[in-house]
Amino acid sequence: MRIVASRPAWSRRRLPRQWLTAYSFILPFALLFLLFFLVPIGFAFVQSLHQSKRSGLGLEAPRELFTGLANYTLAWHDHTFFDGIGRVLLYGAVNIPLILGLALVFALALDSATLRFKRFFRLAFFLPYAVPGVIAALLWGFLYDPSLSPIVQGFAHTRLGAPDFLGPQSVLWSINNISVWEWTGYNMIILYAALQAIPQELYEAARIDGATDWAIAWRVKVPMIAPALVLVFLFSIIGTLQLFNEPQVLATISHSISSSYTPNLYSYTTAFAKGNYDYAATLAVVLAVITFILSFGFLRLTRNQSGV
Amino acid sequence: MAKIFFAPRRLVVSTLVAMLAILAACGSASSSTASGPVNLTLWSFNDNQKEIDLYQQSHPNVHITLQKLPSKDYYAKLQTAIKAGNAPDIAQVEYQFLPTIISTGGLVDLTKYGAANVQSQFVPWTWGQVSQSGKVYAIPQDTGPTAMFYRTDVFAKYGIAVPTTWDEFAAAAAKLHAADPKAYLTDFPPGEAGWFFSLLWQADSHPFGISGDAWKVSLNDANAKKVTDYWQGLISKKLVKTEPDFSDAWNADLQSGNVATWITAVWGGGFLASAAPQATGKWKVAPLPQWTAGGKAAGNWGGSSFAVTKSSKNAKAAADFLTWWNTDPSSISLLVKENGLYPAATAGLSDAGLKAPQPYFQNQVTFDTFAAASPQVNTTFQWGPTMTQVFTDLSDNFGKAADGSTTLSAALDAVQQSTVQNMQSQGFTVQP
Repeated sequence: MRIVASRPAWSRRRLPRQWLTAYSFILPFALLFLLFFLVPIGFAFVQSLHQSKRSGLGLEAPRELFTGLANYTLAWHDHTFFDGIGRVLLYGAVNIPLILGLALVFALALDSATLRFKRFFRLAFFLPYAVPGVIAALLWGFLYDPSLSPIVQGFAHTRLGAPDFLGPQSVLWSINNISVWEWTGYNMIILYAALQAIPQELYEAARIDGATDWAIAWRVKVPMIAPALVLVFLFSIIGTLQLFNEPQVLATISHSISSSYTPNLYSYTTAFAKGNYDYAATLAVVLAVITFILSFGFLRLTRNQSGV
Repeated sequence: MAKIFFAPRRLVVSTLVAMLAILAACGSASSSTASGPVNLTLWSFNDNQKEIDLYQQSHPNVHITLQKLPSKDYYAKLQTAIKAGNAPDIAQVEYQFLPTIISTGGLVDLTKYGAANVQSQFVPWTWGQVSQSGKVYAIPQDTGPTAMFYRTDVFAKYGIAVPTTWDEFAAAAAKLHAADPKAYLTDFPPGEAGWFFSLLWQADSHPFGISGDAWKVSLNDANAKKVTDYWQGLISKKLVKTEPDFSDAWNADLQSGNVATWITAVWGGGFLASAAPQATGKWKVAPLPQWTAGGKAAGNWGGSSFAVTKSSKNAKAAADFLTWWNTDPSSISLLVKENGLYPAATAGLSDAGLKAPQPYFQNQVTFDTFAAASPQVNTTFQWGPTMTQVFTDLSDNFGKAADGSTTLSAALDAVQQSTVQNMQSQGFTVQP
């Protein structure tokens, strides 16, 4: 009885201590999260509520004025910005299904018992991801450039004629191609890892029930890795909206890529080429909100599959 | 009891202290006290150490630290540093971006350090570039008068005479392309706004001006339209290439002769020799084609000045160095020899380093052509205060024109509109 009676007292003393220990473990993260995530976002938001103003010839330093939502009104009417959003959405509508479809097929192939040279293929599929994005864009740039590309020059001698990889209609799909080349292997590895985690008994049970390999892949494996699929889809949505490297690099060889080709590129240009940090912050905030809405909308849609 | 509660808190506190220490270590800049010797920092695109060493020999109390920076995003960096109050004492600013940097309010007026006294020592048009409303904001260093480099082998092969007017140039473009469908007389790089402005400069166009307390913006004035209409004609007939310059493909074209002329500035000569080494002995230089027969007008592409920022605690010492650097004959010789620059100081145009025959150019004394062009550059040409925006917009719109979805002329109208809009939204007074 004595022991039982003393327990609440012990807990009362111990509980705050455990809490403090727990919080002290969280603290480094929380502090860094605050400093390098929340504060910059807050700063960007505050910046987006300001405009810098001059007068006359503007020979003096500009004044920062609080202008409320004026920048957001500008962004709302900014065709350039929404053209860029439309462009990346169109890009994503083709790019994401293509990458994830290929990644899933490759992952299932690697996971199947029949494929030979598994380790070679696993490495070969994954290798493009090890090439940094900018280098990948440069590399493909050489294959697209009409004066240097063996592909273009090869086709020039055939009846099909030389393809134009950098024209206004085609360059988006040329960027798409780089991205597929680069990201399929990465997504495949995530899906492959998820496939490895499926207990073997499920396959045995399915076989006893008379399922073919196809049926096992489609009815057992794919549903089992649905959370992983949802995850890579989410990463892809975010990656699509943040498209930047490839168009930035290809812009040096294609005049069909303007300085506002994607929303991210536009925000970058606005800040670093045009020196309008306030409006660049506004664009960044709007893009973040759109990304947030799309990501969480997708998570809600797939709540049953993802388990999130 | 207290101990039990205290221990975790101490952990919390020590973690906090450790993290703050890390942050402080990241944030603290090494500051040097300027007692005795004067310390100056210098931002430049070039390696100017030789000139600095020479200056320090005669001025042992001045210590100059050179920070060589890439030109990419340089002005964003400079503007941020000016805003933060930690800009270098001396900063390189190309002429076209000088009004933009002046409008940050971060540059020192050098007239109080006697800058006006050296005006007569510089090529006339450069002084107009560094002064605004009676104040001098920078000292000119080098210039980029323009001319036309051309392939003598291609011209000889197809019997093309060196064009002296733009009409002859257009006829030559048609003749060459008809004779060899792979070959083009020149390239019109749609993204190279600075290059296009050199064409406007030659054509006596005045995109920007100041009238009283207001800016005048006329990017699409009649002379500018003359230039865009001319080049649109060549582009529509596919007589010129429209590939980006300084790309690998463009280098290959200069090498092979598929692009037979390059309208460019004086620094283009050195660039050609290194970018197209296999074309040694195939290039020469001639004056720019003219709008009227017998005319004498040149443009300018590039060139730089150096300014003293308000962050400097030793503005006088910085201004003194700038004056010496850009007027002293031995310093100018080093600028020519070591940095390959074409000096803005008039005396520099006859520097011994600029009189040598160039083996790459069939032993032509190429700099003579530019020495003749330099005084022909219009002295009243002015840049606006938002040139980074103008260059970006021009490059975007000309890209569309090269694709055929608009014309150069319409593109120029669009840039005029977006520039006025941008300036007005920032509060500049703009007079149409």
